[in-house]
Amino acid sequence: MSYTLATLWFDRQRYIPGVLAVAFSALLIALQCGLLLGLFSVTSIPIDRANAHVWVGPPKVLSVDVAQPMSENRARAWLESQPEVDMRTVEPYILKFAGWEKPSGGTELCIVIGCNLNEGAIGAVPELTDELRTKLTERDTIVVDESELERLDIKGVGDTAKILDHKVRVVGLVKGMKSIAGPYVFCSLVTARRALRFSPDQTVYVLAKCHDSKDAPGMVKRLAAEQSRKEEHEALSVFTKQEFSLRSRLHWLTKTKAGIALGYAALLGLMVGGVVTVQTLYGATMASMREYATLLALGIPRWRIALTIVSQAFMIGVFGVIISWPVVYLLAEAASLLGVKPQLPVWLLGGAGIITLIMAVGAGSLALRAIKRIEPVNLLR
Amino acid sequence: MREDAPVLMGRGLTRSFGDGDSRFYALSDVTLDLFRGQIALLMGPSGSGKSTLLAVLSGLLRPDSGQVIASPDGQSVDIWQLSNRERESFRLKHCGFIFQGYNLFPALTARQQLEIVLRWGEGVPAREARERADDMLGLLGLAKKSKQLPGSLSGGEKQRVAIGRALIKSPQFVFADEPTSALDWAHGEQVIELLRTAAHERGSTILVVSHDHRILPFVDAVFHLEDGRLDENDGVEGKTPAAAAHAED
Repeated sequence: MSYTLATLWFDRQRYIPGVLAVAFSALLIALQCGLLLGLFSVTSIPIDRANAHVWVGPPKVLSVDVAQPMSENRARAWLESQPEVDMRTVEPYILKFAGWEKPSGGTELCIVIGCNLNEGAIGAVPELTDELRTKLTERDTIVVDESELERLDIKGVGDTAKILDHKVRVVGLVKGMKSIAGPYVFCSLVTARRALRFSPDQTVYVLAKCHDSKDAPGMVKRLAAEQSRKEEHEALSVFTKQEFSLRSRLHWLTKTKAGIALGYAALLGLMVGGVVTVQTLYGATMASMREYATLLALGIPRWRIALTIVSQAFMIGVFGVIISWPVVYLLAEAASLLGVKPQLPVWLLGGAGIITLIMAVGAGSLALRAIKRIEPVNLLR
Repeated sequence: MREDAPVLMGRGLTRSFGDGDSRFYALSDVTLDLFRGQIALLMGPSGSGKSTLLAVLSGLLRPDSGQVIASPDGQSVDIWQLSNRERESFRLKHCGFIFQGYNLFPALTARQQLEIVLRWGEGVPAREARERADDMLGLLGLAKKSKQLPGSLSGGEKQRVAIGRALIKSPQFVFADEPTSALDWAHGEQVIELLRTAAHERGSTILVVSHDHRILPFVDAVFHLEDGRLDENDGVEGKTPAAAAHAED
């Protein structure tokens, strides 16, 4: 490896395009994925901002916003019987798509979120201040994000509209609760049940906190195993906050085919990086043809020279990936200033790095065709 | 005449290039013997087939017909009857090469140029390779240059590193193609002296291809090649001052 590093450093002018191309690939993959993760993290906002450790929902829940109502009592009783659960925290939570009838005509899809508004409630997002919660205790009142007013065709507090033909009145506005699919409409459990025509026993989820949050994953695993032994239509869904959040985001990622777009963008980045790396290594190998030919004449096997070129490719990959990381963070910060916050978890950066490294080594393998052109006898002509 | 058996024999070597009317014979029925501890010079005008003969004898270019019988360690083998892999292995074990250009990796130090042959070729451990490379550089008078890159070495020093690379494996056969052509005579003389020492003291068989007549006093045997044919009286020992001196040793 020391020979490889010495060669890369000595001939850095030649190898820099390859390193930059690899860095570009790693950057493109990481940033694309990060942007999508950031975008789809919006879909799990109600879960992420809530304070619950455990979410129990109806059978086969795919995403937080795609679930049918279920009996509250059954899920509540089940959760309350678990020793890890703090019984005082168990509460119902309603989240469901509904038709919003605009005051000037036409409809818009919205997401009704009805939750417990008491002090210490674990479902309510912190954006719902004490004052707003108090206002929401009045029947048929709602709070929406101020950026969604236009989409909902209302002007602000005091305006009225209909959800599924049920009249509601805006009593407050929040910030930072924008959604992709349909505007969030926050209200009390009572208002949600009335608007969505749920019976008093119906809910969509039941939430709970554990005495110790560390117990949640183990308990959820046990409860999920217990439910899996039941008939499919009877088996309740049970998730930790983190599991449910990820599940919801991944659902949207696949449902909207954004994953395919992501795949294409990443593939494009990889192809650009791969082509430049192949050309860089091919050129470098051809430039050292006489030296390699001498080694071949001396009986050094061709595979050993191939290994050298592949190790050069690997090191180009390593340098490219390392260079890409700070640039990814800088660009992510820049994107944040523009209002799009990419999410860059370590596994994403690591995964992008590994994919790019595999590409670089693959490019090295393609550049090996240069070795076939090396014939030591040519040194004698 | 020598009494010991030759270690490298070319028998009826013929090699042509091209097809039909454009076919020409670079070698025509060439036969020659080379002995252990002998430095031989192959001379001839440009296009006479010198390099082709060197390539055929060293296992780099297959002849159209004829045999190359090598007996580096007592057992005779026709190197053109070996598989490609076996021939590669033969070269690795027994052959060193010095080419017209130095062909040194610009990024590697003098020591690394030698180490690489041992490590990549024979899998010699790093420490041992380093020690052997340093020993060889010391023998070549390059002990103080071991950490220098080719760019900071003179032409003569570079060629000495190339010689070190050829000799580091202690090969039985060393093939040198115009090893002095890029050097002034002071450095050229040093180079040919080193090769002569390798032959006489290490017992290597060294075949030098060159136009340079100044080399003549340093070699044990001379072969003249013209139009792909050897002079019939070639290769007889005792024709050169070096051979005479060597015979007296």
